[in-house]
Amino acid sequence: MKHVAITETTFMGDTNSRSSARRRRRPLHRMLVSFSAAYFAGALVTDIVYWQMPDVLWERFSIWLILAGLVMAGLATVAYVIDLAGRRRIERPAGPRVVGYALAVLLSVVNAFVHSRDGYTAVVPSGVTLSALVVVVLLFTAWVGMALANRQRVGA
Amino acid sequence: MMHALKIARSAKLPRLAALLVTVAGLGLAGCDDHAGDPKMQIGASPELPALQQYLMPPMRVAKVVGWGEETPTVAQGLQVHALATGFEHPRSLYVLPNGDVLVVESNGPKAPISRPKDIITGWVQSFAGAKAKDANRITLLRANGDGTPELRTTFLDHLNSPFGVALVGHDLYVANTDAIVRYPYQDGQTSITAAGTKLTDLPGGPIDHHWTKALLASPDGSKLYVGVGSNSNIGENGIGAEYERAAIWEVDRASGAHRIFASGVRNPTGLQWEPETRKLWAIANERDEIGPDLVPDYLTSVRDGGFYGWPYSYYGQHLDPRIVPQRPDLVATAIAPDYALSSHVAPLGVAMYTGTDLPENYHGGAFVGEHGSWNRTPLNGYKVVFVPFSGGKPSGPAQDVVTGFLDANDHARGRPVGLAVDRRGGLLIADDVGNTVWRVSSSKPVAPPKPAS
Repeated sequence: MKHVAITETTFMGDTNSRSSARRRRRPLHRMLVSFSAAYFAGALVTDIVYWQMPDVLWERFSIWLILAGLVMAGLATVAYVIDLAGRRRIERPAGPRVVGYALAVLLSVVNAFVHSRDGYTAVVPSGVTLSALVVVVLLFTAWVGMALANRQRVGA
Repeated sequence: MMHALKIARSAKLPRLAALLVTVAGLGLAGCDDHAGDPKMQIGASPELPALQQYLMPPMRVAKVVGWGEETPTVAQGLQVHALATGFEHPRSLYVLPNGDVLVVESNGPKAPISRPKDIITGWVQSFAGAKAKDANRITLLRANGDGTPELRTTFLDHLNSPFGVALVGHDLYVANTDAIVRYPYQDGQTSITAAGTKLTDLPGGPIDHHWTKALLASPDGSKLYVGVGSNSNIGENGIGAEYERAAIWEVDRASGAHRIFASGVRNPTGLQWEPETRKLWAIANERDEIGPDLVPDYLTSVRDGGFYGWPYSYYGQHLDPRIVPQRPDLVATAIAPDYALSSHVAPLGVAMYTGTDLPENYHGGAFVGEHGSWNRTPLNGYKVVFVPFSGGKPSGPAQDVVTGFLDANDHARGRPVGLAVDRRGGLLIADDVGNTVWRVSSSKPVAPPKPAS
């Protein structure tokens, strides 16, 4: 990281294509993706608590957490487009990450509707199942992304 | 290498967009209901389909267009005219002994936002004219010979979402959403300025989901019966919020003390004495979001100490899975209501007909004002029906008496709410979207129909 920063300042103004690639700035979407993932994971926790102890408060936490996650996902999508357009640095390989994250977000959209039902069946069984599935998809996506990135790095 | 990757990346985007659109489309397609014929759900043993849970519950409200030059359509042998117009959300009616008509202009308190859904619901309701300003007022109309009002005054003002009114002797009781208040009333009085005295608190805010409090005095005047609606559709605000709600209260008029006369009635919006057996009858609005044909709203006699199912079950022992923990002990005792009015019609007014002006076939029976559905396709309700009674019990299918609240495009010209029978035997209908009070009378008399103001 430090190395990149140094080269950036050192070679500022260089028209060489290699250094212009190094000059790419930090991506905007990454932090937003992390936020949404954290919200979705939070919803799984509050769902499990509600399932064990059906107090409506937990159910309400869940739906607001899912909504917050979706808002963050929306912002992350906008940021991703900006990153692409602005030629910012994007982790490679992007394909599996994009597909996995999109799947998690779509499941969360469905989950938001399920969570908008009235009463117990807003969470048990479909709601909590969807929340768990979202977290599993996110974890799997992260793992695949890291594994592929490592392989590429090793192979390089 | 870097460029190649970038091209591959951008190629992914349209695929993602296509996927998003597909799934969003699937969610919306879930709106299509397969609603049955409402006629199969009228009477003592309605057909009850299996319950279904939605991904996206249908919201189908009739767009408000107003009456213009139109008037409601009435059954043969009847005529209708506007008794008075220009009200602000008139919800219920009460006829004083001298024939003066009280028009309660009211709307519910602002609903709190507990979930994202509440924002959507509020937005949808605003299209149905349900978000009108709360006038919190009772207007008095004094009719002259031909049934048009000669006098219109503000009878009581600065109330708090009032609905029920009952007069016992010289005590006039108004059921605000949070309390019953007593006012002194002298015969012929057209305006009350005296401060009211609180008889008892009623379950009000902060949620106050079903805010209307129906009111009826016992024949001897010693008790008041109050319809107190639930604080949720199906307990989603927590069972603690339902304390002494979804019940019919019996309030002692002398002391203000109350007991729960009947419970498990989700939203009892109208109470009447059946004239033959002198039993208490109620109309009730049942639960939503488990299908276009669940659960039928109903008209029922109310047994002292009876439990009518909500929230644990409906129509006797049909369990509702949305409420946990269940209460099998209560469900075992749940009474199935006497007479189903079909699903989502939203009965908000009931009047047992004791007059003689209307044709013979309306003597003995209950008129029910059906405000109309907002979550069912096709729409249901939006009319006033008559349930014939014989021997103190409903004796046949409900007949449409006043229709035309919807136009050919299913837009709402008005929506019927509270009903009352005036001193001369005409049926009065409060219309909270048309902002009118309609009067239905027999077409035999020569009184010319002439709309007022």
